[in-house]
Amino acid sequence: MTARSAAFALLAFFVATFIFFCVAAPRFATASNMENLMSGFSFVAILAIGQSFPILLRGIDLSVGAIVALAGMIVFDLELIFHLPGWLILPIALVAATLAGALNGWLVVKLKLQPFIATLATLAAYRGLVYSISGRQLVPGLSTTPIRDPWITGLETYFDFGSLLGISDWVTLPWVPLSFFIMLVVLAAFHFLLGSTRFGRSLYTVGGNPEAARLAGIDTARVTLAGYAVSGFCAGLAAILLVARLTTATEALGTGMEMSAIAAAVIGGVSLSGGIGSVVGPVIGAFLLGTILIGLTLLGISQYVQQILTGAILVAAVGYDRILDLRRRRRLVANLAEETHA
Amino acid sequence: MSNKDDTLNGGDRRDFLKGLALGSAALGAAGAGLFGVDPKTGSIGPSSAMAAGNIKMAFIQWQPHTVSSAWSKGMEEVLKTQQTVDYRLLDGQNKVEVQVSLMDTLINEGAAVIFLQPIDSVALAPSIAKAKRSGISVITLNIDATEAHAAHVEMNHYYGAMDIAKAFGDKLGGKGDVAILNAPPGIIIRDQRTNGFLDGLKKYHPAIKVVADQSADWSRKKAQDVITTLLAANPNLAGVYGVNDSMALGAVDVAKAKGLTGKLVIFGNDGEKDALESIEAGELTGTQYTDVYQQGRFAAAAATVLASGLVPATAFKQQGKLLMPYVIATKETVGTIQPSQRW
Repeated sequence: MTARSAAFALLAFFVATFIFFCVAAPRFATASNMENLMSGFSFVAILAIGQSFPILLRGIDLSVGAIVALAGMIVFDLELIFHLPGWLILPIALVAATLAGALNGWLVVKLKLQPFIATLATLAAYRGLVYSISGRQLVPGLSTTPIRDPWITGLETYFDFGSLLGISDWVTLPWVPLSFFIMLVVLAAFHFLLGSTRFGRSLYTVGGNPEAARLAGIDTARVTLAGYAVSGFCAGLAAILLVARLTTATEALGTGMEMSAIAAAVIGGVSLSGGIGSVVGPVIGAFLLGTILIGLTLLGISQYVQQILTGAILVAAVGYDRILDLRRRRRLVANLAEETHA
Repeated sequence: MSNKDDTLNGGDRRDFLKGLALGSAALGAAGAGLFGVDPKTGSIGPSSAMAAGNIKMAFIQWQPHTVSSAWSKGMEEVLKTQQTVDYRLLDGQNKVEVQVSLMDTLINEGAAVIFLQPIDSVALAPSIAKAKRSGISVITLNIDATEAHAAHVEMNHYYGAMDIAKAFGDKLGGKGDVAILNAPPGIIIRDQRTNGFLDGLKKYHPAIKVVADQSADWSRKKAQDVITTLLAANPNLAGVYGVNDSMALGAVDVAKAKGLTGKLVIFGNDGEKDALESIEAGELTGTQYTDVYQQGRFAAAAATVLASGLVPATAFKQQGKLLMPYVIATKETVGTIQPSQRW
């Protein structure tokens, strides 16, 4: 099965799951539920897009949840302690998150640390940093002060296309959250970056075969560093959307989000053995997870069962990835054998 | 029919439709109820009509914990009895975004009342506002939210801690050095309990001196380490107040190991089963006991009255508040707490 047909299989599975819940779960097929799905999982999709880059490079980024908290707390501090304007805060937070990601890449490239270990270490370090810079603890009273800057809260905006198109009298369309459009823009940008630029081709080559990439004259260190920086950038963006939604940041923000991001990426067909996958799959993976979680909640199924099920789906996706990988290797060996015979 | 305005902001949309729906439901219910007495409950009025379709209520907890599961048990007891309420417990998994997503789901489901133990007072405020716009009453437990809602039912943090300070000082004979094992900053409960304790000391026992106030992260293990260090630095330490029982029990562990049982006055807060047993064993000096099953029942009682009385979330002029009765449990009073009240 090729990568393309695997993507179609994923899409088909997503559509089937979606239709199942539309039929089976009460109030799943409603406009407000579609809104909930879009506003509740767009940031997970953005995290999954970011996570795809380290995984494409045969690595992983466990620190994304901590980077979410770090970027969130930077927004919190700059807004409530330093009273900077929102238009200045947002780029600062994004740059900080990107740098945090780049530091992961630096540890992997320069110190030659295993990505798992490097990002596990920064997970702890970034989370510690969040606690130490937390304005909630440094300044009494801030923990109950909401963020009101329109530049930030404005990100939690919904668009009513039903009224814009003048069809709201006949159908109730979901109001589409701005975060969903931001996710689409990120998706388009990184899809273009991966598919149509030299950087993208280099990234696939480095992930697929680092030695060959080096021999082909690709600056593998730079590509790797950039890959982790992208993951950090996406975590920063997700943090900003979350802060806009919550009107605050907490020290524990983003805890466990690396699990959702990695699960969505792997379910989305990004191969853990590197070099194979897209950013479209992870987005579908994120909304698949969201559909299942919301659908099961509406069906009244215990959340503990939901967590088990999420784990099972992840195992299935990893297992499937493994089978594909083995098949590819076998084909490669067969091809080589044929060539030597000829 | 159009219920949407042209603004791009999530604000007041659908209120009108929802309002119409709620209003007609209320009228229908009232109409149906006015014609007779319910043969099962004997009540006259809207509540009898509600049996036609059960109303939904749910509790979103912080994370699995003895306190929240006892609340849930108390709520379930009351709500089951009504025969007209479907109740369920949902888990926030210690993540604000999960609680927010669950709020959204319950709002979409058209729940009548949402019980909420918010992880953060600010982060859940937009969700509470959204629920309110949809006519859903939100009742918070223990941790208040910055957005006004139907009601808040809390353990009596401030006044209870004042009474702890009084009993604490009495045991110390009105003087001595004491330490506070505190929660990490940023949680309202921490401030309420700490301020109550300090104000209580000022009022009843001004000669007592607080020599240390350190965070032990709510944890028994962490409290053991912190108190060991504190005892080394303050050999004259006469008393310890843990803002929850786990931390107080951590201090008890250290006192036992150092042969200070009975000499070091140690108070906790909450009143969980382990703490009460420790008081009976003569180790922990005392704690503020709250019947949390009862707290759940009270919240459920308020919810039932609101829902069966068809009181919409928008009807409140300001947020309702209920403080739980409590007992300062010491060796002398702990026997009054019945086994069925222990959690």
